[in-house]
Amino acid sequence: MIPAPVRYVRVSSLEEALDALGAEDAKALAGGQSLLSVMKLRISRPTLLVDIGRLELAGVEIGDGGLRIGPLTTWDELEHADALGTPAFAAFGECAAGIGDLQVRNRGTVGGSVAHADPASDLPAVLLAFGAQLAVRSPDGWRTVETADLFRGPFTTALSSQELITEVIVPVPPSGSGSAYVSVEHPASGFALAGAAALVRPDGSQSVALTGVGSTPFPLPADRDPAEALADAEIYGDRFAPAEYRRHLAEVVVRRALERAGQRAEEDRP
Amino acid sequence: MTDVIGVRRPRIDAPDKVTGATRYAADGYVHGLLHARLVLSTEAHALIRDIGRDAALAVPGVVAVLGAGDLPMRTTGTDRTAEPLAREEVVFAGQPVAIVVAETEAAAEDGAEAVFVAYEPLEAVVDVEGAMKPGAPFARLVEETEEGGDLESIHAGVDRGQEDAEQEQLSGNVLDHVHRRSGEVAAAFEASDAVVSGTFRTPWVYQAYIEPQVATAWLEPGGTLVVSTSTQGSFVTRSELARAFGLPLERIRVVAEPLGGAFGGKFALIEPLVAGAALALRRPVRLVLTRSEDFQATNPASAQVTHLRVGARKDGTLTGIEARMIVDRGSNAGWGVEGITSALVTGPYRWEAHDLRGYGVQTNRVTFGAYRAPGAPTAAFALESLLDELTQALDLDPLELRLKNAVVEGDIGISGNPYPTIGAVEVLERLRDHPLWQARGSLPENEGVGIAAGYWPGGNEPAAAVCRVNSDGSMTVVTSAVDMSGVDTGFAVIAAAAFGLSPDNVRVVSADTATGPYAGASGGSKVTYTVGKAVLRAAEAAREKLLAAASQELEIAPDDLEVVDGVVRAVGAPDRSITVEDIASKALRFGGRYEPIEGHGGSAQTSGAPSVAAHLSHVRVDRETGEVELVRHVIAQDVGRALNPALVEGQMRGGSAQGIGWALFEELAHDEHGHLLTGSFLEYAIPVAERVPEIETLIVEVPAPDGPFGAKGIGEAPVVAAAPAIANAVAAAVGVRVRELPMTAPRVWAALQTASTPDTPA
Repeated sequence: MIPAPVRYVRVSSLEEALDALGAEDAKALAGGQSLLSVMKLRISRPTLLVDIGRLELAGVEIGDGGLRIGPLTTWDELEHADALGTPAFAAFGECAAGIGDLQVRNRGTVGGSVAHADPASDLPAVLLAFGAQLAVRSPDGWRTVETADLFRGPFTTALSSQELITEVIVPVPPSGSGSAYVSVEHPASGFALAGAAALVRPDGSQSVALTGVGSTPFPLPADRDPAEALADAEIYGDRFAPAEYRRHLAEVVVRRALERAGQRAEEDRP
Repeated sequence: MTDVIGVRRPRIDAPDKVTGATRYAADGYVHGLLHARLVLSTEAHALIRDIGRDAALAVPGVVAVLGAGDLPMRTTGTDRTAEPLAREEVVFAGQPVAIVVAETEAAAEDGAEAVFVAYEPLEAVVDVEGAMKPGAPFARLVEETEEGGDLESIHAGVDRGQEDAEQEQLSGNVLDHVHRRSGEVAAAFEASDAVVSGTFRTPWVYQAYIEPQVATAWLEPGGTLVVSTSTQGSFVTRSELARAFGLPLERIRVVAEPLGGAFGGKFALIEPLVAGAALALRRPVRLVLTRSEDFQATNPASAQVTHLRVGARKDGTLTGIEARMIVDRGSNAGWGVEGITSALVTGPYRWEAHDLRGYGVQTNRVTFGAYRAPGAPTAAFALESLLDELTQALDLDPLELRLKNAVVEGDIGISGNPYPTIGAVEVLERLRDHPLWQARGSLPENEGVGIAAGYWPGGNEPAAAVCRVNSDGSMTVVTSAVDMSGVDTGFAVIAAAAFGLSPDNVRVVSADTATGPYAGASGGSKVTYTVGKAVLRAAEAAREKLLAAASQELEIAPDDLEVVDGVVRAVGAPDRSITVEDIASKALRFGGRYEPIEGHGGSAQTSGAPSVAAHLSHVRVDRETGEVELVRHVIAQDVGRALNPALVEGQMRGGSAQGIGWALFEELAHDEHGHLLTGSFLEYAIPVAERVPEIETLIVEVPAPDGPFGAKGIGEAPVVAAAPAIANAVAAAVGVRVRELPMTAPRVWAALQTASTPDTPA
């Protein structure tokens, strides 16, 4: 459990980070929740670790253009963020509270998890259900990436190796909305065998996204009945949870998430 | 005199452990230490064509790359002691093939990664039932004839059954076949009002101790081989090393360091690797397995397939039991649990006829090893599940059926010998009036309560101990028992009570094989019963020395003296007294007049002291997801006499928790090529704290006649019947019976689907 030899640099500015990430096989290190584990197993062997942990990129606030989540926000901070204490944003805290244990939640970060793109990680489902965007910085400048366009495959994203997430931007749902995240976890890893995030708006419209059941987290089309859309989705199976069971679980968590989100939306209406 | 026996006290090692002061086997400083890393086989069954070492030797800091031929083995055979590194044939994925030894851990790891092993793959035998059939491919091609060590006898005293008259057609993979028979089981079934049967499957289960396997070996200047290790048994490790390297026993010194968990998995496994490397290189070598290596390369509990049939009359009297139990030994040619499991499958019950077969079968899975009550949880899962099915068929109460058939002292067991004192009836009666059992009929939908009982026969091995009084009046107890599950804390209480001291004035020292009195390995639930008895006698012997000296000091006959809280005084005249400290200080000095206040005691227990534990489990099943949630769990156990109830309850809770692991979580799964699929805690689930409910412990005391103060071994019984209690609770909750462990959510869901399909009844 000793990583392959690796160089380490701690950066104090975004520019410095982007510059350092230009080196071959460099990797950005935030909380280390995922990266350090795969390095210890030597599944990942970067030659340079660029520690971005001291950059001032943490925090959750509602401002112009929506809810803004800094990529270095930890799960624990997300779980307890004042800005997320409404029925509309309840899915965020619910999702964060179920990740790992307290030690992991004190270290693991929103941006790190999204960039790592584990096909069973929880938060992407919530971001997809809310139609979140990422603000991304590279040496060439800024761009915005829709989370719906981000996940390309297991552990694979549309981001280049020299791009860093600088902000997660979440549209604020209309008042009277409710959201929820429901998952059934693998008993060992705690990762979702099937996880669903649902957002229910006062006009009755719903957004649903799933994680853990395919090669990437994915949203269900907004214009279709969730159960029907799910029936057409490709569902992954493995030794522990065969595809038939996972498909069934997906149906269950989607229904439960919608019910809970709907109840929260009701509670939020006068 | 203040009460000593039966008082709650913290473990004497607790302060060091909770403050991090304990030095475990990986922590000791050794001058000039080299670090070893293993190269593990990536194939489950293959011939080794070549071990490419050049790249590894080129890594800075790498000292050597050792293969099987480089270790100074003086024995043949295919057990892990005789063949610590695979010779020409690998027989499981994860088998050590080479050791890289380096100046640093990092260099060893880099070097191990650079070793290239060329394999010629052979067919992997992974289906244990298929492996038994005549003509099946062999799991091991290269035959070695020498028998392994005697590790089975450590665990339980069960007979081997009679030789089989009729010859069943079996392949050479069947290494052992045990058959026990009494009465006519077919006739017994014929005369039954209900006969139920089923096939039960249990997986390979990992002990999951916190501290991975670790050992360090070096040569003293005089040539003695010293092995400092995390082990359950120092003397058995010494014997195994002597066998491996052809050394006289007195040239080997095994030091058992504080144990960071073992549960049966630490009986001389990696010590031959480090000892072999140290002998080959003549430098100290340490090997600390990583968790991932520990998953792949150690010795978990066997997978087992149990075909079982049982019958009863309508009044609930059990009639016949017929079992065919197939034990997957993996690569273990030395021993298996087929003998133990096919004896324990009868449970703590009377039967009119039995026909029990056990088969030990080699496959290309990992090496089988012991795990808390080896062979018992698998047997209890099958039996206790079917007993509930009998009660359904006959419309009887599950607890009353068990109680009606529970063995009592003098009943003849399947070995033909009468049962010794056994608390089966007392334990079941304790649960009969429990509110949880009484409430089982009025629970919310999808909730249920199950009951199951099981026992562990205990084990015996002669042992000795020394009790020495120091000049300040304190006592040192010396044994060679490894302090597992708090046995040292029990020794302190036994010595204190027998001698007349406060346990606070007793220190317990674990000695090594060069300095300590003999003790067997800590396993088989035998340490308190056997070593504890030796401690009792040693303390009594020391007390005689004390009284002889006190008699002269006080001019009172020894028979008229008593020892209370460190003071010797005249019976009936407590003013005429002298302290133990005074006497000891008069003895332990230049020109002293008395023999040192020191006693040696031994024991050679021959009587059995089985412990019975019964469980109530309350579950809630999510019918939609198949998830089983434990709401509450109750265990009642006959512990003989609770020397320290706090520690006894700890064993009851720990055993129950591991039983919960068997029931719901744990499975070492392999693919069809024999590769481990659940080789980390990301895939292998254990009952972590948040998944273990409140466990209520009910201590039942039926004193063991020969145990120290009535105590007996209690470590293994609590794991035995936890899983079937949960299975019976699931059946009570949702009406389906899962016959394969663990009862994961997907399996429970699948069972519910099958049950709800009208044309395929469960």
